[in-house]
Amino acid sequence: MDHLETKTYDVLVVGAGGAGLRAAIEAVDQGVSVAVVCKSLLGKAHTVMAEGGVAAALATTDSRDGWRVHFRDTMRGGKLLNDWRMAQLLAQEAPARVRELEAWGALFDRTPDGRILQRNFGGHQYPRLAHVGDRTGLEMIRTLQDRTVQAQRIDVFMECTVARLLTDDGRISGALTYRRESGRFLLLRAKAVVLATGGIGRAYKINSNSWEYTGDGHALAYDAGADLIGMEFVQFHPTGMVWPLSVRGILVTEGVRGEGGVLKNSRGERFMFRYIPEMFRGDFADTEEEADRWVADVIAGRKAEARRPPELLTRDVVARAIAQEVREGRGSPHGGAFLDIASRRKAEDIRKKLPSMYQQFFELADVDITREPMEVFPTTHYMMGGVKVDPESQAATVPGLFAAGEVAGGLHGANRLGGNSLSDLLVFGRRAGAGAATYARAQSGEPGVETRQVDAITAELLAPFERKGSESPYAVQDALQDMMGTCVGIARTADDLQNALAALGELRARAGRVGVDGNRQYNPGWHTTLDLRNLLTVSEAVTRAALARRESRGAHTRVEHPDSDKRFGTVNVVVRRQGDAMTVVEEPIVPVPGELRDILEGKD
Amino acid sequence: MPDRRTIEIRVKRQDGPDRAPYWQSFAIAWRPQHNVLSALMEIRTNPMTTDGERVSAPAWDASCLEEVCGSCAMVVNGRVRMGCTALVDRLDQPIVLEPLTKFPVVRDLVVDRSRMFEALKNLRAWIPLDGTYDLGPGPRLSPEVQQFRYALDRCITCGCCLEVCPQIHRDDPPGTGFVGAAAIAQALLMNLHPTGQLNADERLDALMGPGGVASCGNAQNCVEACPKDIPLTHAIGEIGRQTTIKWIKDIFVR
Ligand SMILES: Cc1cc2nc3c(=O)[nH]c(=O)nc-3n(C[C@H](O)[C@H](O)[C@H](O)COP(=O)(O)OP(=O)(O)OC[C@H]3O[C@@H](n4cnc5c(N)ncnc54)[C@H](O)[C@@H]3O)c2cc1C
Ligand code: SF4
Ligand code: SF4
Ligand code: FES
Repeated sequence: MDHLETKTYDVLVVGAGGAGLRAAIEAVDQGVSVAVVCKSLLGKAHTVMAEGGVAAALATTDSRDGWRVHFRDTMRGGKLLNDWRMAQLLAQEAPARVRELEAWGALFDRTPDGRILQRNFGGHQYPRLAHVGDRTGLEMIRTLQDRTVQAQRIDVFMECTVARLLTDDGRISGALTYRRESGRFLLLRAKAVVLATGGIGRAYKINSNSWEYTGDGHALAYDAGADLIGMEFVQFHPTGMVWPLSVRGILVTEGVRGEGGVLKNSRGERFMFRYIPEMFRGDFADTEEEADRWVADVIAGRKAEARRPPELLTRDVVARAIAQEVREGRGSPHGGAFLDIASRRKAEDIRKKLPSMYQQFFELADVDITREPMEVFPTTHYMMGGVKVDPESQAATVPGLFAAGEVAGGLHGANRLGGNSLSDLLVFGRRAGAGAATYARAQSGEPGVETRQVDAITAELLAPFERKGSESPYAVQDALQDMMGTCVGIARTADDLQNALAALGELRARAGRVGVDGNRQYNPGWHTTLDLRNLLTVSEAVTRAALARRESRGAHTRVEHPDSDKRFGTVNVVVRRQGDAMTVVEEPIVPVPGELRDILEGKD
Repeated sequence: MPDRRTIEIRVKRQDGPDRAPYWQSFAIAWRPQHNVLSALMEIRTNPMTTDGERVSAPAWDASCLEEVCGSCAMVVNGRVRMGCTALVDRLDQPIVLEPLTKFPVVRDLVVDRSRMFEALKNLRAWIPLDGTYDLGPGPRLSPEVQQFRYALDRCITCGCCLEVCPQIHRDDPPGTGFVGAAAIAQALLMNLHPTGQLNADERLDALMGPGGVASCGNAQNCVEACPKDIPLTHAIGEIGRQTTIKWIKDIFVR
C-alpha cells in the first residue's frame, strides 16, 4: 500500500443525487464530518432527469388530499408488498421536505393565487405532484447542490468511483475509491457509509437511465454482506425509443397515446385490440371506429361517449403486448412497435399539444414526429428492489451501512408510483443522514483498515491492465444487456431464467478475460471493465429473485404463473451472499397494523 | 450535402492535464440520425483511427443524453454546443471536436469546470437558512414572478456562456477572474426568492467587487451560446442596475 492517499470522516455518502445530497446535508447539520463521492460531476446525477414532479400530500391544489390517502395509494400501487412503515413515513413527511426545499430556494409552478400547483399522475387519487415545468429533478439537484456548496464542512470528491466497501470485524470501516481522472486510488475511512447510488438500468440495452446506473450500490452492499430485497421488481416504461441510436431508451410520454397516437406492428395492425384483459373489456373500445370516436370527442373537449382506445391500458399491459409482438416476429425494423401520431393528427396540433416531445426528438435525433412514426419498445426505468433497510434510520443489515433512494428496497413494494421517487429521496435521504450521524457518534475510536485487505483489492482492480485480454469490455456489456432484455425482461419464463443463469456464468468468464489498453488516466475502457462486475452481480440477483417468485405481481410477470398468489403476498425474496455463492430466501413481511389497515380498506 | 457513406470525426486529444494535444481521425459507417455523442459511442466500441491504428477510445463527458445535465458541452466545428443535440447530418464533415478552451483539460474532450462552483460560492448564490423546520404552508409567490424566475432557473451549468465570453480567460487565477454570466443569473434568481431577498445585499456586494458584474463587456456572446435560452444579458443588466443603486446608497450611508 505505497503512498495511498487516505482521508478520514465520520460519515461517507456515496452518490450526489437527491438522496445522497439530502443525506449529506442532514449529517453535517448534526455536527459530524461528512464526505460525498460521486462518479460524475456535482449536479449531473441521474436525478436531474426527473420530469413529472415530486409527490407530496401538500393539499394545495385539492384540499381533500392528506397523508392517509397518499399512504393508501402508495401501498396499493406496490401491491401491498411495501414496507408499510416506510410508506407511512413517506406520506407523512414528504410535505415538510418539499416546503423545506422551497425555503432553500427551489421553485415550483404556482396556482393563480400563488400556492404550489400540483399535477395529477397515475395511481395518485388527487393532484399531488409538485413540479416546475418538466424539469423538477434539475430543480431539486440545483437547490440541494447550492446547499452542499454552502456547507463548508462537506468535502465533495467528484468523478470518483467507489470500488469496494471496507469492513473491520463485520462493521463498515470505509471505502476504496479511484479517481476517474487520474486513475489513482483514494482510501476514505469512515465510521458510517450511506449508499445513494441509484439504480441498475444499464443491465438492459433499452433503458431510460444514465450511464451511471450500473447497480454499483446494490453490488457493493451485497459484497459487504448486506441483504437485498425485491430484486425481481424492475419497472419498465412501455414506450421508450429504440431507434435512432442517439435516443435509444428515452421515454415517449403517455401523452402521445392520450392525444390519439396508435401502436402498430410490422403488418400495420393495431394490435392492442388483441390484448385487452378480461377485467377491462367493459372499459375499452373493441373496434378502431369506437376508439377513434373517443379520441375525436376528447380532442373536441366533449364528454366521450365511446370507450377508450386500448393503447391507454395500464403500463404493464402495453409493455407486455409490445414485447410479445416483437417476440412473435411482427416487430419494426429495429425490434419495436410503431407508435404513430403523424398520420393521426395534424402537424400543427402535434406541435401544440406535445411541444417538448416534438422538440426533444427533433433536436436530439432529427426525428420529426409530425411526419414519421416512432419505433418504441419497453424501456427499463426504475429499480424497486434494493438494500434492505430499517425504516426509521435506513440502516442496512451490516453495521455502519445505510442506504437511501433508488438503491434502497422496500418502500415501493412491487411497483412504484410516479413522483414517489423524488419524495423518497428527500424523506429517506434525510433519515439516512441522521441515522448515519447518530451511529457514527456512538462509535468509539476509528474503525480499522487492514493493509492486506486494501492491497488485495487494488491488485484485483488493476488486473485488467496486466491481461493481454481478448475481450472488449463494451462487447461483454452489450452481450449482457441483450441477454437480460431477452431472458429477464418484462415477461419471464422459468426456462428463460434458467438460461439466463447459464449465460451469466459464461459472461462472467468472458469478463475475466477482458484486458484494457493504455494507462490509468481517465480510461473509460477500464471503468467499464470495473462496472461489469457490478452489472453481473445485480443481473444475477434479479434473475434469481425472479425465479424464486413464482407468481405475477406488480412489475414482475411470470408467464407460467399469470396470477398473484396469496402466499407470495406475505413474503419478500431476500438475496444474500454466502461465501462466494448467491443465496435466495423468503422472509415474511411485517404485517400492516390495525389502524393503518383501516386506511387501506378505505375506512378512514 | 454530407457524405452518406461514412462519418468522419477529428478529435483533438490530450492524454492528461499537462500533456500536449494531438489530433486523431476516426470514421464510422453513416447511419441516419446520429448525433455527436452517439457517433462517439460507436467509435468507442472499436477505437481505430483512419490510419488503421488501434488507440484508446476518446474520452468525453455525458450523463443524460437529452440536454438536461449540461455535461457534454464541447467545441463542434468551431462552435461551442452540447454534443447530445449536435446532429451529424446537419454538420459539415469532417466533424471537428475540441474541448472547451476556457477550462483546464482533464483528458481529450473532458474539462474541469470547478470554476463554476467557485463562482457560486463567491456570490453566495444560495439561501442561507439553518436547520430543518416545519415551515408551515410556505410563501405565496405570484405566477408572474415564478415565470420570470423559471426563465433563469433552467441553467444546466454547461459552461457554454463562459466559453464564448471575452472576459473569461483560461488562466485566470482561481477565484479572481470574472464570475461569468451563469453565476450572475443565479444570483438574480436568488435575489428574487422570498427568503433569498434577505441576503440580496450580500450578493450585490460580491458582484460589485473584482470579477463582478462590472467586468462584463456586454458583448452578448453568452446569450447566443446558451442552449437553454436563458435571458442572460437581461439578468446582467438587472444586476448592473441593482448594484448601481446599491453603490449610490452605500456612498450616502457612509
Ligand atoms: C427519465 C426519468 C424521469 C423520471 N421522472 C421522475 C419523476 O418525475 N418523479 C419521480 O419521483 N421520479 C422520477 N424518476 C426516477 C428518479 O429520477 C430516480 O429514481 C431518482 O432520481 C434516483 O435518485 P438517487 O438519489 O437515488 O440517485 P441518483 O440521482 O441516480 O444519483 C446516484 C449518484 O450515485 C453516484 N454513484 C453511483 N455509483 C457510484 C459509485 N460506485 N461510486 C461513487 N458514486 C457513485 C452517481 O455518480 C450519482 O451521483 C425518473 C427517472 C427517469 C429515468
Ligand atoms: S455579455 Fe458579458 S457575460 Fe456575456 S459574453 Fe459578453 S462579456 Fe461575457
Ligand atoms: S447560463 Fe446557459 S450557457 Fe451558461 S451555464 Fe447556464 S445553461 Fe449553460
Ligand atoms: S449529455 Fe446531458 S446535456 Fe448532453
